[in-house]
Amino acid sequence: MFKTCLIVSLLAFGTSAMAQGNVIIPHFANETETSGLNSVYKGDWQYMVGGGVAAFDCNGGGFPDLFFAGGENNARLFINKSKRGGELKFEEAKDTGLEFDHVTGAYPIDIDGDGIMDLVVLRVGENKIMRGDGHCHFTEMNKQWNIDGGDAWHTSFSATWEKGNNLPTLAFGTYIDRKFENDPWGHCTDNFMLRPADDQKTYGPQIALTPSYCSLSMLFTDWNRSGTPSLRVSNDREYYVGGQEQMWHVDAGQAPKLYTEDEGWKYVRLWGMGIASADINNSGFPSYFLSSMADQRMQLLSDGSDKPTYHEAQYAMGTSAQRPYAGGDLRSSTGWHTQFEDVNNDGLYDLFIAKGNVDRMPDFASKDPNNLLLQKPDGNFMESGEKAGILSYRNHRGALLVDLNLDGKLDLVTVARRENVEVWRNVSTDLGHFLEVKLAEEGGNRNAIGAWIEVKEANGKLMSRENFIGGGHVSGKAGFLHMGLGAQTATQVRVTWPDGTKGEWQDVKADGFYLLEKGKAPKAWQASD
Amino acid sequence: MNLLKRIVAVLAILSAVLISSGPSFADTDTTQSVIIRWYGLINGLVRHTPTYSPPVAARAFGYLGVMSYEAVASGSDHLQTLAGQLNGLKPLPKREAGKEYNNDVVLNAAMAAFTPVFFENTGPSGQNAMGALATEMTAKVSTGVAPDVVERSTAYGKAIADAIIAWSKNDGGAVIKNMGFTENYKIKVGPQYWVPTNQQALQQHPLLPNWGNNRTFAIPKISACVLSAPLPYSEDKSSAFYKEAYEVYDVGIHLTPDQKAIATFWSDDPLLTLTPAGHGMSIALQILERDNVDLEKTVDVLARLGVAQADAMIGAWHAKYLYSLLRPVTYIQRHIDKKWDAYLITPPFPDYLSGHSVQSGSLDVVMTKEFGDNFAFVDKTGEADNLPARSFSSFDAAAHEAAISRLYGGIHYRSAIERGVLYGKCIGEYTNALKTRR
Repeated sequence: MFKTCLIVSLLAFGTSAMAQGNVIIPHFANETETSGLNSVYKGDWQYMVGGGVAAFDCNGGGFPDLFFAGGENNARLFINKSKRGGELKFEEAKDTGLEFDHVTGAYPIDIDGDGIMDLVVLRVGENKIMRGDGHCHFTEMNKQWNIDGGDAWHTSFSATWEKGNNLPTLAFGTYIDRKFENDPWGHCTDNFMLRPADDQKTYGPQIALTPSYCSLSMLFTDWNRSGTPSLRVSNDREYYVGGQEQMWHVDAGQAPKLYTEDEGWKYVRLWGMGIASADINNSGFPSYFLSSMADQRMQLLSDGSDKPTYHEAQYAMGTSAQRPYAGGDLRSSTGWHTQFEDVNNDGLYDLFIAKGNVDRMPDFASKDPNNLLLQKPDGNFMESGEKAGILSYRNHRGALLVDLNLDGKLDLVTVARRENVEVWRNVSTDLGHFLEVKLAEEGGNRNAIGAWIEVKEANGKLMSRENFIGGGHVSGKAGFLHMGLGAQTATQVRVTWPDGTKGEWQDVKADGFYLLEKGKAPKAWQASD
Repeated sequence: MNLLKRIVAVLAILSAVLISSGPSFADTDTTQSVIIRWYGLINGLVRHTPTYSPPVAARAFGYLGVMSYEAVASGSDHLQTLAGQLNGLKPLPKREAGKEYNNDVVLNAAMAAFTPVFFENTGPSGQNAMGALATEMTAKVSTGVAPDVVERSTAYGKAIADAIIAWSKNDGGAVIKNMGFTENYKIKVGPQYWVPTNQQALQQHPLLPNWGNNRTFAIPKISACVLSAPLPYSEDKSSAFYKEAYEVYDVGIHLTPDQKAIATFWSDDPLLTLTPAGHGMSIALQILERDNVDLEKTVDVLARLGVAQADAMIGAWHAKYLYSLLRPVTYIQRHIDKKWDAYLITPPFPDYLSGHSVQSGSLDVVMTKEFGDNFAFVDKTGEADNLPARSFSSFDAAAHEAAISRLYGGIHYRSAIERGVLYGKCIGEYTNALKTRR
């Protein structure tokens, strides 16, 4: 029976962010009870992983709407009724076509390039590829687009537009073969890719990504800025045998091929559960954060773009997040969704990690709060979850940092196993300035997935971010991309488009929303309440 | 090959042994499957239970072997109980004279009681697996057996397991906190001492620093084997210590494909493989298959190998924290090449002695005593991880290859390896002194 269990934030919060050293600590208010959000990720063994959320605008209103996986419960879609800068308000949409059970997570993506966001729904069983109509109604397109949705325990997803294609290449990650509940080890099913068929209107057959090692996150990412993203896959060593973290060459017209030791790929094995990616050190190349049980891993590129060799730096940088920082449970943590964003608008990427015990794992903390690690000017990170007001001991899985009320401050929504979702509004009043941009170009890849955005920061460095679909833990968002600007009231932005075309530096004002269309001047956008 | 396939392969191996070994081996075919299925499950649990580092796994295989042995020995005219021979093991429950028992039911009940205790901290999948196997095997072994025999045999098997579990509780290794990384352990300070070698917060504390104080199985006290000190620490390029470190560096930057294959084959990393002790058990199981060994010898070998390896790990850990010698990667990066890294992942505890070498030395003497010198065999343990089988002309050859693999892997100095093998042989001889045959 569905049971709500809402937690009201008992913290007496002010609206001012706090400064600690040179770092501004944002403040979040738990608005779950008044938000109208009500969804529980329910289920036993087949739902011990998963539990994602997708944030995207399903009706053209500009505000991100929220879709929640429900496991054995039906998934739910909530329409964002918030006002700009106001309290977070949602209303459940009915008869959306998304009321499936067995949903583990979802990623928004405009597959057919019609300017309306579609949704890839990951399930235990057959995935559903749902085409949006712009009014928050969706139609299954598996048959029409000849998409083989598989019949597996689907637990990760990513997409890219390979050169020359109108349709995206879709990659799906899977977990344990469901037939082996009583002997699951070594029974990881194959991940697979779907590439567009020659007609560029439908899809070809599944391309197995063998070997596969129980993937809980995957991400097409241009790790060396070559213009061709590779597919990173994070795998759960709890169930694989002989496995490791993986990265695949995915070159147009070629079969996917694993990066090898000879190429510089070093074997790493962990309970891989989520991938976050960002250029956290202004190197121009992405670093990767891998959530796991016990130590989380921070991977920095070691030898430049010639070799995919990464070294770990989590202990030195303060991002181990190995055990709870509050609540008194000293056992090791379990990390799930993870995401780099700038939550205090200071121009430095911060890091969020959703935490929660898998299920009765006695060596791991049962009271395991989510982390909010703020980056300091020296490049290291400091834990700020409790001070920021996001402390929660639910059994978290998926999550998103996303600007739900379009005020330039990132809010937080989380999914917990067997408990209601939670949402926090970023109520800080003295954060830095921000810039939010949405990319657009002609052709099938309307949202310019694979583009890189660079913004000039006050410290003279460039904050860059890759526009990708995938990663995290079965949770994805589409819409405006957010960057903090610190004290800057204006800056310049440049886009390197997916085809490699490098745009001009363009002037933008701080605290604005802009549409950046290829070959055109930035166009200011204003949310209509 | 995935784990299931590997387990199936091991099971097939044992099946072949049991089926072809004549009437003395087992009461029925079901006896085979009881041992096979439970050992197979435990292999999986070792790989996937967070606290099962190599010493912890060796301990579990030690108790498992003794329990299986005693469950069979209690109904055998040929086997001698180990009670009174192993440290702290008091006389075990006896079978009721004149009453009928079913070995299948006895063994299954013992395994079903033992496994959830030793793997109580495994995750939900492991818990499911243990429960499912107990249910399946209990139904299987009870079929066609008189209810009173089932009841009596079940009670007896559980009594044996309970006695072994009770024996294990106070050996010093029963409780593993913080996954074995002891936070209040004071790391020695000085240029020669171990320091953490990776970026994991958990592993800024060393693994199981007190394991060397655990009660041993067969060796009366770990000090019964002479332990020599490591080479005198020196940063002088002409010193023996520097030369040993330079050897690790030099081998590491010129690794041949075969050396890489050897390093990987014997890597036996915790939570990813069967661990060194599990690898040793796997070797034994393969040989038992090849030679169609009967049940009594099977449990004898599994018990003695388990005991020797468990003692070996206690001995190795005793040495590690007695000397707390820094790992090659630390020394080399400080004094030879800042950018050098080991081919294998450097384990989170001190160098001297090499645990794998000590374990391999103990395996060598136990298996050689049982099967003889120049006993050739093929080790297919690595097939689960897509590693080709390797052939050996003797246990001694295998032990030395396992040991030197740690130099190829860049994680041990030569003296920690060579002295480790000798130390392990000494420890293993105490197991060889056990009397298992009447």
